[in-house]
Amino acid sequence: MKTAIKTAVLSSALALGVALSAPAAMAQEDSIYIPNLSYRTGPFAATGIPLMNGQRDYINMLNARDGGLNGVRLEYDECETGYSTEKGVECYEKTKARAVVTQPWSTGITLQVLPRTNVDEIPILAPGYGFSPMADGKVFQWAFNPPSSYWDGASMILKYISDGDLDTLSGKKIALLHLDHPYGKEPIPLFEKMAEQHGFEFLPIPVGLSEMQNQSAQWLQIRRERPDYVVMWGWGAMNAGAITEAVKTKYPMDQFIGIWWSGHDGDMQTVGEEAKGYKAISWSVPMPDAPVMADIREHVIEPGDSMVEDESQLDWVFYQRGLTISMMLVEAIRAAQDEFDTQTVDATQVRWGLENINLDEARLEELGMSGMIVPFKTSCADHTGHGGGWMLEWDGSKFVKVSDLITPDREAIAPLEAEKAQEYAEANAPWPTNEECSM
Amino acid sequence: MDLLDAIFVQPFADMAAAPDFLLQVLWEGLVGGVLYALIALGFVLIYKSSRIFNFAQGIMVVFAALTLVGLYERGVPALIALPLTLAVMFVLAVAIERLVLRPLVNQPDIILFMATIGITLFLIGFGEIIFGGENKVMITEQLYIPTGSFLFEPFGGFVSIEQKDLTAVIGAVVLVVALLVFLNKSKIGRAIRALGDDHQAALSVGISLSTIWVIVWFIAGLIALATGIVWGARAGVSFALEVIAFKALPVLMLGGLESVMGAIVGGLAIGILEKLFEIYWGQPLLGGNTEAWFAYVFALVVLLFRPQGLFGEKIIERV
Repeated sequence: MKTAIKTAVLSSALALGVALSAPAAMAQEDSIYIPNLSYRTGPFAATGIPLMNGQRDYINMLNARDGGLNGVRLEYDECETGYSTEKGVECYEKTKARAVVTQPWSTGITLQVLPRTNVDEIPILAPGYGFSPMADGKVFQWAFNPPSSYWDGASMILKYISDGDLDTLSGKKIALLHLDHPYGKEPIPLFEKMAEQHGFEFLPIPVGLSEMQNQSAQWLQIRRERPDYVVMWGWGAMNAGAITEAVKTKYPMDQFIGIWWSGHDGDMQTVGEEAKGYKAISWSVPMPDAPVMADIREHVIEPGDSMVEDESQLDWVFYQRGLTISMMLVEAIRAAQDEFDTQTVDATQVRWGLENINLDEARLEELGMSGMIVPFKTSCADHTGHGGGWMLEWDGSKFVKVSDLITPDREAIAPLEAEKAQEYAEANAPWPTNEECSM
Repeated sequence: MDLLDAIFVQPFADMAAAPDFLLQVLWEGLVGGVLYALIALGFVLIYKSSRIFNFAQGIMVVFAALTLVGLYERGVPALIALPLTLAVMFVLAVAIERLVLRPLVNQPDIILFMATIGITLFLIGFGEIIFGGENKVMITEQLYIPTGSFLFEPFGGFVSIEQKDLTAVIGAVVLVVALLVFLNKSKIGRAIRALGDDHQAALSVGISLSTIWVIVWFIAGLIALATGIVWGARAGVSFALEVIAFKALPVLMLGGLESVMGAIVGGLAIGILEKLFEIYWGQPLLGGNTEAWFAYVFALVVLLFRPQGLFGEKIIERV
């Protein structure tokens, strides 16, 4: 009797399991799974939330407006990391089975996941972050950091402050105020090389995680050293902390420039008018009147499907950058669908798509995103595209574009990229490379 | 020889060459120290009365500051939002006592410590749901905290003192003095100290454990609110404020977990010394960011000579 009951219970459970998993299996067949290793909690949540909102809303808009992409639904899924490298790796492992791409959202997580993606054959999409030599597609087959790398960003900032002639920086002092974290240290090799070539003094100033909100020691150093420019590689609360101290130290705002992750409206609210003149290089610009924004409002915001709580945040640099990030991923998937003549692409096919993104002015216009992101084109050997960026300036209430397109000095950067990529491959041998750049 | 010069001669020569800069360094160190002392006080009070190391002190700072700003954003005037926030912190103290501490009375210390980790995780999630994770601007001006700066010109140079830093220092001193008077002169204060010394003995003379725990957690909430206002005014209110609780750990190691005076002296000592070390030794010799570890090393050196900390009690136990 007992055995009969046991058998009945087990078979019912099995039947229920099959019944419940059937729709999931169907959903898998009819959708493309896009995981995002997001961080809406923790010390960096304030910067993560608008970016994730933008990414999520773009995918939701496509699903609502077009029924997905070429008839297949895009299944956007967030796994919360809190910007912790350990949790990021856990999230990668948890989501990789069905993923066509992984979006690690931290240089630390990217560096940890990088060797695993070679084995798992899942492309990493790290737009505007990660390890700069990932641009070398021959060495980093599965990693992509379009449209500009950190070294591109450093080069563009130097180009801007020198009016295009880096030799005019000779004898000057440039401080790099950076988070003491793999992200913050990333531009140091490029700055050191440029300092040697063009004769300026380079002064790295690290900011620890627990000092982000009290940077008085770092700004006392700036007061003592009197650098001609302060370049910032800040993140989260470090940005607001630095700008508050700059105001307090009376450091000239027009000599203070941040990388694209240091140009966040939310951080600037704390200092408001006092930070007028602060600049940040950026490969994306908010365009409140862009046609895509009308679609976002109509299909996501108005039906209440967005996680944005305050609609004024739709015009923030970070929210709209989130839109462009999802857009470049969708463009890669679209390219893969066309190339392989299939709706439900796999990770290998999406990698091909990421190597064949061609976002020129005409395509951006078609997407209703003209001017929101720099035009760029990737290839098998070039996983970044090096589209360049614009200088944005804080006018007291929002960021405005104050320059034409600035492009990085590729002649100076490319050899360093190749050298460091090779070093990485040797240090992690056996590391598979793709010299022929073929699939 | 150059190294010896850089360690023993150059820093002092720099101090003598720019005394105005030295004054600025000392002021910034003092402000930092007062703020560290404030965070450490929250830990000490709870430990003193219940032997619980309150892991949730950092998130309480975030929660208090978020409640204040959140209420203001929802249309509550700042001067009403302030007492309302205190009321919320009181309710939180009651809830913690009823739901977490009371069921765990007589459990080992480690269980209570783990329970405070649970409180931390709950407050992170609860705070996120209610207030969101975005950076918020502290309502400094609405609370009538002055925001300008005083500029002095001693020794031909300049020293800039932010009015909000000065307010923070004065506010912290008032809070600390009030706490000391409360702990030493009032009946409840004496009861808190009695509980810290011996739970059983205190209970046997009729001191109510649950009432004292609510009061202590409420005072810790009040300190968290003061800390949140001061730190939030510097770089906004976000969950990043939680990180500053780590700065209190070396202060507690140095001052002793159960000493109010230890938290104050330890906080001030670490604030000033870490700033002096960073500016005159750390940046020129070690590339900077020594503040991340200096306080711990300093506390460890002190512990080598005084294992109970500067003001901690020397406990002798029979084995």
